[in-house]
Amino acid sequence: MSNPDRGMNVPDDLKYRENHQWIKMIDDITGICGITDFAQDSLGDITFVEFINNIIGSENPEDEKIAIIESPKDSFDVYSMVSGKILEINRLLEDSPELLNSDPYGDGWIFKIEIEDAMVLEDLLEPDEYLETILPDDFI
Amino acid sequence: MKRTPLYNIHMESSGRMVDFAGFAMPVFYTSIIEEHMIIRSSAGLFDVSHMGEITVKGDSAALFLSRLIPTSMSKLEPGKGMYTLFCFENGGVIDDLFIFMINEKSYYLVVNASTVDKDFAWMQNHIIPGVEIENISDSTAKIDIQGPKSAMVLNKIFDKKKIDNLKRFHFYFDDFTGTEIMISNTGYTGERGYELFIENSKAESLWERLMLEGAEYGIKPAGLGARDTLRLEACYSLYGHEINEQINPLEANLGWLINSDKEYIGRSVLENLKKNGSEYEQFCLELTGRGVLHEGYKVLHNGEEIGCITSGIYSPLFKKGLALIRVKRGVLSIGDKAEVQIRDKGIEGEIVKRPFYKFNG
Repeated sequence: MSNPDRGMNVPDDLKYRENHQWIKMIDDITGICGITDFAQDSLGDITFVEFINNIIGSENPEDEKIAIIESPKDSFDVYSMVSGKILEINRLLEDSPELLNSDPYGDGWIFKIEIEDAMVLEDLLEPDEYLETILPDDFI
Repeated sequence: MKRTPLYNIHMESSGRMVDFAGFAMPVFYTSIIEEHMIIRSSAGLFDVSHMGEITVKGDSAALFLSRLIPTSMSKLEPGKGMYTLFCFENGGVIDDLFIFMINEKSYYLVVNASTVDKDFAWMQNHIIPGVEIENISDSTAKIDIQGPKSAMVLNKIFDKKKIDNLKRFHFYFDDFTGTEIMISNTGYTGERGYELFIENSKAESLWERLMLEGAEYGIKPAGLGARDTLRLEACYSLYGHEINEQINPLEANLGWLINSDKEYIGRSVLENLKKNGSEYEQFCLELTGRGVLHEGYKVLHNGEEIGCITSGIYSPLFKKGLALIRVKRGVLSIGDKAEVQIRDKGIEGEIVKRPFYKFNG
């Protein structure tokens, strides 16, 4: 193990998916979504973010692609995580994609979504469950 | 997965390991962009011990090699190396390699990691009396120090006079704590730099010493990610991408390597291609629209598909997308616009003069 803390920041107040995305509920039906510290750390320098055209206001199933993130090493597709309507996207990322590296849970948020059914939140991973998915095999 | 003798150091340095040609290799440590930029501005270290080394010795060594390569060996002299290719009879490229001439009866070949077994078998199949070849890859470590400050770092460890006087593509043997080390003024980054060959047991102590002496210049370890972005800015081919068994050298702008007047494998096809041109040619493309370029993306001109990207990067230096493209010959010229198909969109690019980054010796 090289640096056990690297990429392992998993805040307690968020829910997660195995694809390394997080959602933070700001009221009963509205969530803010982004990618995890582990995801940004694995990708390395993020150099490009592109949102799918006309995504704001659209109703999406949970597996709908919202944005594409690229680093020199890899690319990463961002999905809606839960079914719902996209309310807002973080346009700042188009000019400053590095925010995803420097602050993945803050200024590097990706989109805001109004969720269709609050029950689906139960299906998402708790912080400790997510942490288990990224340890130990993914981490040399 | 195989490990290089520097595996433990990569772990300690938080190297992000990936499988490359069967070896666990660092793709980056902290950031590809940082590692790229330190090499453009100062110095960085690569572990490329996964690469292959093959020695060729004997009275017929020169004759043997001349039968395998399209490049004239008259360029060589003791203490000098050159870049060349192994090709099939049909012109397809088996590998690209460096040949260092130690003396008339001894040569040192550096080949790609993924192809070393294939290369060795190919050489064995064409062996002639009076030649012995040996694959010493598993016992040889290779560390590249690259960047404008690299000579200053080496000067603190090795014979300063020798290093300062070592011309591009030349090499010599020095001593590192009692062990012979081969040092060549060569590299794959577009910067001045050196490649160091030493036996495995000294790899760690050499790496640590280079890091120590390079500290005042801000030296950093660099991974394969930065190696790729650096070589692409300098427009160097990468085997398996710009060239492979199905792509001949002309299609990768390597026709300048075809100049031997000896009998060699593939000669008639290669000379004919050089004279009459190949079906495809290579250009440098700079993306003017928004997007990230990847290998395999289609290239279009006036709506017609004319080829594809063989390597694409986001350039840390120029801060834009750059690519080498393989396209039908005679369609494009420098300054032309071309479109790259990125997912469902055509994004505009411009054909620019090669290389993107001129060698900074």
